Amino acid sequence: MTPRERERLIRRIWIVITYAVLITFALVYLMPFIRSLVASFMTWAQASAYPPEWIPNPFTLENYQKLFRLDLFPRWIRNTALYAGLIVAGNVLFTSMAGYAFARLKFPGKDVIFSALLSLLMIPMFVTLVPNYIIMYKLGLIDNIFGLALLGIVNVSSIFLMRQYFTSLSNEIFEAARLDGCGPIKAFFYIALPLAKPALGAVAVYQFLGSWNAFIGPLIFLRSPENFTLPVGLSFAFQRSMWTEYTPIIAGSLVASAPTILLFLVLNRYLIRGIVITGGKG
Amino acid sequence: MFSSFSSFYEKSRNKEIVAGLTLISIAVILNLVFGYFAMFFAFYLSFFKWDYIGEMQFVGLQNFEIVIRDLIRGLHGAPYLLVPFYTGLKNILLYTLIVVPIQTFLAIVLASFANQKIRGQQFFKVSYFLPATTSSVIVALIFIWLFMKNGYINYVLTHVIPGFEPVDWINNKDYLLFAIATVAIWGTSGHFMVSFLAAMQAIPREIYEAAMLDGAGPIRRFFFITIPMLRPMVVYVVVMGLIGALQMFDLAWIMAGANGGPGGAGYTVALDIYNEAFTRIRPGVAAAKSWFLFAIIFTTTYLFQKKYGRAMR
Repeated sequence: MTPRERERLIRRIWIVITYAVLITFALVYLMPFIRSLVASFMTWAQASAYPPEWIPNPFTLENYQKLFRLDLFPRWIRNTALYAGLIVAGNVLFTSMAGYAFARLKFPGKDVIFSALLSLLMIPMFVTLVPNYIIMYKLGLIDNIFGLALLGIVNVSSIFLMRQYFTSLSNEIFEAARLDGCGPIKAFFYIALPLAKPALGAVAVYQFLGSWNAFIGPLIFLRSPENFTLPVGLSFAFQRSMWTEYTPIIAGSLVASAPTILLFLVLNRYLIRGIVITGGKG
Repeated sequence: MFSSFSSFYEKSRNKEIVAGLTLISIAVILNLVFGYFAMFFAFYLSFFKWDYIGEMQFVGLQNFEIVIRDLIRGLHGAPYLLVPFYTGLKNILLYTLIVVPIQTFLAIVLASFANQKIRGQQFFKVSYFLPATTSSVIVALIFIWLFMKNGYINYVLTHVIPGFEPVDWINNKDYLLFAIATVAIWGTSGHFMVSFLAAMQAIPREIYEAAMLDGAGPIRRFFFITIPMLRPMVVYVVVMGLIGALQMFDLAWIMAGANGGPGGAGYTVALDIYNEAFTRIRPGVAAAKSWFLFAIIFTTTYLFQKKYGRAMR
């Protein structure tokens, strides 16, 4: 065997190992989803069979029907959508405003205020949890989705991301606007905001994922089952054993995660690029 | 009133100052209230005994004393029901010790396999990342079913590992924490894998080419180029992993229950803070415990960063 042939052989073996590892792990990561998708069309008797079965027999939509027969489930979907909508809208508007001011405008105390905000990122949420519960309680906003949303509509990491983005824009366009007599607020709405679409998209997607999946906040600040969001509602349904069989919970889990999974499948390139910019979900 | 304000605004030479302060006002006010005020209130609260309704009663350092007593009794081997904070702390440290190294290692390995000229890289990225986009509650609910005694995971393990006997993961106190750790690793390693992949693709190709000319094989290139170049990302991922693992709540809440499951095996510090505040109605003790949690997170991440360099930002 010539060295060249040997090298080619090694490379081929290496490719085989690579694919074996990557495919094995792809199966490991995807299996819970595939398994739940299949089981959501089974009866509980079949889904709990040992050894596991793969073809639903009989094929049943009963699990999904049970979910939607329950008045609470559609309500939980609506509540989650409302909560996520408020959080996304609040973050897109308020953090872009703040990010623009911190990046582009001069005012006294700018750096101090910005680092004061950033240092809040170091504080674990459990430190502020009880006091915030008391504040909300005093404000009469317990069990209120708008009250809960108030806690999250200006996320510090969104401000950081927006500031980074506005800082990266070139100076000339803002100077040209200023020479044309465009004030700082006008420049924000007519120049900065339209240019910031990619960053706004990243903020919106991250906040959507975060708020749609949020658990501890809704668990503490929402009290009555009709105000629950999906994660809290499903854990409540599970702990109260509203069903003796498990398949409706699986079906409910799939319905609840469908929006985030679809969003991810559609926007994955964009989202993964977002991780590269922000270095993680913070 | 309004016109005088607007004329002030129009004429002011300090237009930019007014605009800047206006634009940041909402962000600053909300963070002052729910961030800084809440933080100082937590500090204040930790010196008081209170039930949310009656008078607040100053008790000095008693709340901290409760926590320290709990820790000392725990070290002397008191049963888990009597020492919730000690139980939570013990579990969460073991959990962090399992989860953070494995998820970081797995993320690096998968990223370096995927970082080659291969077809379907996008497919692998999407599959690995998918668990990270799904709510931890939903993930935990699905895994409870997969972890059942005659569930899918036991079935696979009996076929993969020779001589493996099915285990009741969720109801056995020796296995519960490992089951939770497995779910956490499954849920987050893919996210970190994508971070590593991005960092790897930013390493200049020339370095690898030079090494190949010098005869370095793929394994040598991995250990002598990839790993050192990835160091800032490794630090970042470990720090993020530490912060997340030490505060673990959702998975334990679902998989073990609010009381930590059999033998308190799934009890965590975060669950204990929740129970203190909302079940035992002792917000002062909850505040004191949250400061302990903060101290633990701060020290571990600080020590790690000090030893291995600063995290990227």
